[in-house]
Amino acid sequence: MSGVLDHLALGFGVAFSLTNLLVAALGAFFGTMVGVLPGLGPINGVAMLIPIAFAMNLPPETALILLAAVYVGAEYGGRITSILLNVPGEASAIMTTLDGYPLARQGLASVALSLSAWSAFFGAIVSVTGIILLAPLLARWALAFGPAEYFVLMVLAFCCLTSLLGKQPVKGVLAAMIGLFISVIGVDANSGVYRYTFDLVHLSDGIDFVVVVIALFAVAEMLEMLEKSLAGQNIEVQSSGRKMFNLQELAFTWWSVVRSSLVGFVVGVLPGAGASVAAAVAYSQEKRIIESKDPDAKFGRGDMRGLVAPEAAATGSAIGSFVPMLTLGVPGSGTTAVMMGALTLYNITPGPALFDTKPELVWGLIASLFIANVLLFVMNVPMVRVFAKVLSVPAWMMVPGILCVSFIGVYAINAGSFDLMMTVIIGGLGYLLRKFGVPMAPLVLGVVLGDMMEQNLRRALSITDGDVSVLYASGVSQGLWIAAVAVVVVPQVLRMLRRGRRRAAEA
Amino acid sequence: MNDRILGIFALALAAFITWGGWDIEAPFSYEPVGPRAFPLLLALIIGLCGLWLVYKGGHPVEPNPPGANGRILLMVAYAAIYALLFQWVGFVISTALMTVFVGRLFGGGWAKCTIGGVVMGVLFFLLFDRALDVVLPAGILGEFI
Repeated sequence: MSGVLDHLALGFGVAFSLTNLLVAALGAFFGTMVGVLPGLGPINGVAMLIPIAFAMNLPPETALILLAAVYVGAEYGGRITSILLNVPGEASAIMTTLDGYPLARQGLASVALSLSAWSAFFGAIVSVTGIILLAPLLARWALAFGPAEYFVLMVLAFCCLTSLLGKQPVKGVLAAMIGLFISVIGVDANSGVYRYTFDLVHLSDGIDFVVVVIALFAVAEMLEMLEKSLAGQNIEVQSSGRKMFNLQELAFTWWSVVRSSLVGFVVGVLPGAGASVAAAVAYSQEKRIIESKDPDAKFGRGDMRGLVAPEAAATGSAIGSFVPMLTLGVPGSGTTAVMMGALTLYNITPGPALFDTKPELVWGLIASLFIANVLLFVMNVPMVRVFAKVLSVPAWMMVPGILCVSFIGVYAINAGSFDLMMTVIIGGLGYLLRKFGVPMAPLVLGVVLGDMMEQNLRRALSITDGDVSVLYASGVSQGLWIAAVAVVVVPQVLRMLRRGRRRAAEA
Repeated sequence: MNDRILGIFALALAAFITWGGWDIEAPFSYEPVGPRAFPLLLALIIGLCGLWLVYKGGHPVEPNPPGANGRILLMVAYAAIYALLFQWVGFVISTALMTVFVGRLFGGGWAKCTIGGVVMGVLFFLLFDRALDVVLPAGILGEFI
């Protein structure tokens, strides 16, 4: 235990430096604003900031703190519009609208906001504690992994992400493969051979990760906005008498918050599941538990327990999803994949060794997650009106702003027009893929992991001179294969069973 | 527009990867698995996905509201022009121009978009280039700023 406390002291030492505190506060503020904007979520905010943080020559731990604060802030921001307007800022906030908006209609908007800020804060603290306890153990276990185990682990990550995400896993697989192919382009590190560069000098280093991320999460997003062409909305936040929840409401929602926080952390640690799944699971769990006991529960009509459940779970899982990235070097969600890509810009490869080689980075990040959540909790309640004002920024100003900031970021990497052109082309293609229902998170994961995956596969096969049995020789890799197959098969079987039962019920 | 078309795209991509990867050969080889195997493995899986999608079909793409397709194409064109002008004429002017045209696309008036564009170009230049040390191209204004 004393080891943990030492590490935490180190982490808070890093996080409490003046720049890092300032950066965390700015990141939390910017993230909340991005989260409020409809259509823009954590992944967009993080994607736009990465190259700029890099170009500003921020040290890696400061950059990571900035991105983490933006991530958590955007999760917070998504709730403001959900509760006030019934417009979820991003997918994970959909469940918040179910009971949050009815509460606002009953004149309890400020109470609902403060209550959801509290539950998100609690979820975050549970998850940070979980990381502190679980991550070093997991990292120590993963240190024994060889190239074969790593390869299988990445297969597992892809299986989780594609099978849990969509209704059509085949499109997830396709997305992952396209991402892996993008990572192949450029010079092969082992043999020095050019692959798929077609004698273009600019392609010899490959397509930069930032180009792909900005293209998919800024340019493609803008094209999608054109479909709906959202106009700026002007909303008034009516001031209700009470700003804060009272002790009675705190006690009323207490167990829902606790249960949902735990659900959030566990779902977040699983690779691929993410905040929207966590929110949905927690909400339906609370609904089931409470409605069976309490006939007066009014879920869907403004029950406070239905508001706190998805909030606690979403934030808990957002933070829990750092666990696989930090300990295994295999990110569990789209956003953490993007962050891992940011670390590779600094030539840092996340993984179990990171806890030993860069403890200030890991523990600084964990401490900053804690601080960012405290800041957000304090900031959220009094500043709701400020954030709601963001919504009145008209689209004709916002979209050019997004495009401009994105281009600044891409340009900052190589200072050339080629990358900008690639961003536009990939953005257009990404928009088409999205129209076809191809998920973007596995694609990003493919780009981030591609190099590592190929290297580990080749290294593993070199050891045995090409004998593939090395890939399932050890107990660990066998376990991982079984998990990978289970992740793909079990949801399908469940779906079939449910369909069968429904048919039986209809007959 | 449905899954069958996506499947055909996937098959075309698989064919492209196979065609481009077939001749990849390491001049000196130290390892049993060369630089060619991984992309060909990817092509195989992409091809299988494509076959599956072609075979299954269905899931038609939700059509865009009338007029949206034209505006999306216009937006791509504006972004491409912005990408070309960014370095050549410089950040401030290209950003101002882009804001005017993209802003018009999103329903802004001429006057508002022009003022907004100039303000944004200058403001972001000062913010990023001067305050945050993110170097931006000065372009044809190079001698004045």
